[in-house]
Amino acid sequence: MTNSVYAALSKQAGLSKELTSIANNIANANTAGYRREGFLFSEYIQRLEPQDRSLSQSNVGGRFFDSTPGALSQTGATFDIAIDGDGYFVVETPRGERLTRQGSFLLDAEGQLVTPAGDRVLGDGGSPVAIPPEAANITIAADGSIAADGAPVGKLGLVTIAPTALAREGENLMRATEDYEFIENPQFRQGFIEGSNVNAVVEVSRLIEVQRAYELNQQLMKDEDERIAKTVEAMRRR
Amino acid sequence: MQALRIAATGMDAQQKRVEVVSNNIANMSTTAYSARRAEFADLHYQQLRAPGAISSSTGLVAPAGVELGLGVRTSAISVNVEQGSLRQTGGDLDLAVEGRGYFEVTLPSGDPAFTRDGTFKKTGEGLIVNSEGYPLSGDITIPQDARSITINNSGEVFAYFDGQTGGQQIGTLQLSIFVNEKGLEAIGGNLFRETQASGSPIPGEPGIDGRGAIRQGFLEESSVDVVQQIADLIEAQRGYELNSKVISAADQMLGSTTQIR
Repeated sequence: MTNSVYAALSKQAGLSKELTSIANNIANANTAGYRREGFLFSEYIQRLEPQDRSLSQSNVGGRFFDSTPGALSQTGATFDIAIDGDGYFVVETPRGERLTRQGSFLLDAEGQLVTPAGDRVLGDGGSPVAIPPEAANITIAADGSIAADGAPVGKLGLVTIAPTALAREGENLMRATEDYEFIENPQFRQGFIEGSNVNAVVEVSRLIEVQRAYELNQQLMKDEDERIAKTVEAMRRR
Repeated sequence: MQALRIAATGMDAQQKRVEVVSNNIANMSTTAYSARRAEFADLHYQQLRAPGAISSSTGLVAPAGVELGLGVRTSAISVNVEQGSLRQTGGDLDLAVEGRGYFEVTLPSGDPAFTRDGTFKKTGEGLIVNSEGYPLSGDITIPQDARSITINNSGEVFAYFDGQTGGQQIGTLQLSIFVNEKGLEAIGGNLFRETQASGSPIPGEPGIDGRGAIRQGFLEESSVDVVQQIADLIEAQRGYELNSKVISAADQMLGSTTQIR
């Protein structure tokens, strides 16, 4: 008798997770290199008594990860490097290698290219990139070659991996659950950073949708509650 | 409802951004000021199902996990080191650095501090000091009877005296560069202090080895691009509103839950 309440409840539990992901997307609307995410709902079928039809409930089955590139914004800074197209930078963290799209880099005290958290950026071939301290003019070509006052000092590299093999870790970093390989012709743009690919219009419309669906389920549960109450009342009168 | 707290982190981040922008705009006429930029990073993730989890006894692997992101935080406020345009002032101790490099001054504590603000003055004893009165390092004393002084591009200071045709070199200014300028610690008053992140200063003659040239009679203007700051401000304000929208939606959802009975 309470099965419809459970079905509505399963939907609501999913919706509140969906709301969490919308809130996270909106909170990260200005995080460089952030990729918007969402949940996929799948049907979870529960078999009931032989005389009943089975009940279908909803369940968060997976997560999707939107890998369309974000808009580029010009900053003019030497080590702000946006990825043009596909691929991820590899950075070396104390926990192992991690991938990121966030390309606003700095130099550390030894002149090595690092992320704002201090993790070294690995160039093409997997070795850290060092910039000579006295270089006055550093240019990064579209293919990632780094030149200090005209002399080549290294090359940036990108790796490719299936979006489903990425686990997010925060700090704009992602952990690869599969092997990745370097891309042959990576494309970069110096002096730009890639914004997040969160589209405010889409997120707000999802927000309204989630809120209304939640209220709808609420109404359903309330109606169901009243129906049961009426039944109990009717049985008591007899 | 985690959404409430996540949206709160978003509002906090946008507020930081407004603070950074307002500081940039407030300093749009500060000599040699470089614009700051707030950078954000996503917070950690709550894994409801790890990616690559085995979903059946036959060894099938779930293609994607379920991870709930928990918001955003400010990861860095970085200095966008950019050459500001040079403004002619004609002052003989107004110095601008064209290119990389910082002047070194000595704080009252005896520690060195670094600045690109070249509005120097002369004390009664002939010492070269900045607007706060901190002496420029290099130990240059301008003789009392000097008619004028000239500082050339490589930092050599010449004094001219009445009755003499040629100038007399009384010292040399040096500029210091850093491996990572963005790692310097700003201490106010246009001054910076060396940190472990910036590396040690590399002093030397201006104009060579990556150091910029000195321009006498000029000051470096603030490199704040006001148009960009205003665009940033609008973006931050809208971002703030969006996050507050999430808070009100989550609040209404919670409200409808509590009204069920």
